[in-house]
Amino acid sequence: MSDIVTINDGKAIMPGANAPENREYNMFIGPNHPGIEGNFALKLSIEGDIIQKAKTEAGFLHRGFEKLMEERLFIQNIAIVCRICVPDPDPNEENYARAIEAIGGIEVPRRAQFIRVLVLELSRIASHLFTFGGHAGTIGLYTMPNWSISDRDRVLDLFEELTGGRVYHIFNMPGGVRRDLPDGFKNRVRDVMDYVESRLSEYDDLFFNNKILLNRAVGTGILPVDKAIAWGATGPNLRAAGFAHDVRKDDPYEVYEELEFDVPTAADSDAYSRLIVRRREIAESIRIVRQVLDKIPEGPVWNKQPNPLKWRVPAGDAYVRTESSKGEYAYYMVSDGGVRPYRVHVRGASVTHGVHILENMLAGARIEDASQIMFSLDACPPEVDR
Amino acid sequence: MSGTYTVPTGRPEAARGEKRSASAIVAAIAELGGESGFAVKAPRRVEGRVEAAALHGFAAALRMRVGFEHLSAISCVDWLADGEFELVYHFWSYRDNCLVSAHVRIPRDTATMATLTDLWQPASFFERDIHEMFGVEFLGNEDLEKYILTDWKGPPPMRKDFVSRDFAHDHFTYKNYEPSWDEMIDGGYYSGGQNGGQA
Repeated sequence: MSDIVTINDGKAIMPGANAPENREYNMFIGPNHPGIEGNFALKLSIEGDIIQKAKTEAGFLHRGFEKLMEERLFIQNIAIVCRICVPDPDPNEENYARAIEAIGGIEVPRRAQFIRVLVLELSRIASHLFTFGGHAGTIGLYTMPNWSISDRDRVLDLFEELTGGRVYHIFNMPGGVRRDLPDGFKNRVRDVMDYVESRLSEYDDLFFNNKILLNRAVGTGILPVDKAIAWGATGPNLRAAGFAHDVRKDDPYEVYEELEFDVPTAADSDAYSRLIVRRREIAESIRIVRQVLDKIPEGPVWNKQPNPLKWRVPAGDAYVRTESSKGEYAYYMVSDGGVRPYRVHVRGASVTHGVHILENMLAGARIEDASQIMFSLDACPPEVDR
Repeated sequence: MSGTYTVPTGRPEAARGEKRSASAIVAAIAELGGESGFAVKAPRRVEGRVEAAALHGFAAALRMRVGFEHLSAISCVDWLADGEFELVYHFWSYRDNCLVSAHVRIPRDTATMATLTDLWQPASFFERDIHEMFGVEFLGNEDLEKYILTDWKGPPPMRKDFVSRDFAHDHFTYKNYEPSWDEMIDGGYYSGGQNGGQA
């Protein structure tokens, strides 16, 4: 074989260059790239501008949480589980606490259940605002990230006052929550909710009705409902395909059964539908937060547990599910009756739509839409890596 | 990826219709034949044991005849003392709002299991993860490449007999993060000696 390598039209290129027989070439996006959510890599085979095949590469954020948890006391793990998903940490705390409560038969006071719902919904709002910023960034609309991420900071201010931490809260304890609401906190939550609600119509003007977004996102990254079910999509990605499954409604936990809220859906199952579903979910979360503030009963926020350094959880197992901002978030916990969990399996919401759904959807898409499709699915790499 | 599996599209007939209670699902599972050990564990939770060889047939029947469309997760637990791995398959029914957990025990030294990727594509991630972390072989799954620990050469790290502290002692040199300042000064660290005088 001659060492003059040619491509299909027979024209000689650099001697010794290793060009493939066809016009396919590889392109890498990530692991450090503004168009990638977190540290994650996409390896794309491209012909022209069209992606032929996509492979995800993970592991850049692997911190070995599941192994770590087996070597730490039950109470020590509360401080590390929230770190599994950075933008939406509270479903981890919720699952971890609820798994221990399910195995150990621990009751949670009603006031604590309302506070947990409050924290989960605030976290959902913060996470969706974060995603809007990221999605807008992938199509060159750089005002939206400035707006939505600075508005998210108002929610983080509430977290800081309630829990002491802005991003990670370490707030759910088995048997309740760590602190009661501070004085005047309810009013400050109402103020922030009024503010975020007033901003939604401004987001519409800036972003959701923006011609650039409409041109780029409508009809892009279509995930039809039969494929969404077959490929295991959950959360907003499934609802944007018209399938109204929500763990809060279908497998209710805490006090969600007592609260009124709708499950927003859309029919077109494209990138735009997924955005709109998230935008409407913020309005529903605000509705839930206001009901929590109205209905929250007085009482204790924690049922006292034995000395936490000597907690023994009875032998048993539990599979608990939470609706995170990204979809179904589950923990499978096994206890052998000791002071440490025997096994905790973290089923992140993004293990479907961040891996094989993303790979399947990228095949046939244009290069410039790769980032947008990933953000429209709201894939969270730390949940995949753990 | 997409060419490897036949992705089932369209929802099975059994997934439509009236919502059933958890005890009705236990009865429906018993009607499949062979699996009688299933019971209601908690509200919306049913669990039971399945023989390893029967799992694939059980899962297919659960999907097509009982209507469990969603594979929520596959978990693996290493029971070192028993010499067994326990695989736990969590299936969710959108119709009945109920979770069925099927527990399967396989021997630890010949850890093989039939794949479920022909029934549920989401199984691909879970099986690949369990293969990487526990070393279980899934027969019929063609994509068991390393994913998260690409450069890892050691044993599957989630096995109970892999002790991370021992591994660290054996493979890494000790680094003192609390050095004695006196020793560092006496040893010429700051005097322009071998380390170039970082004063």
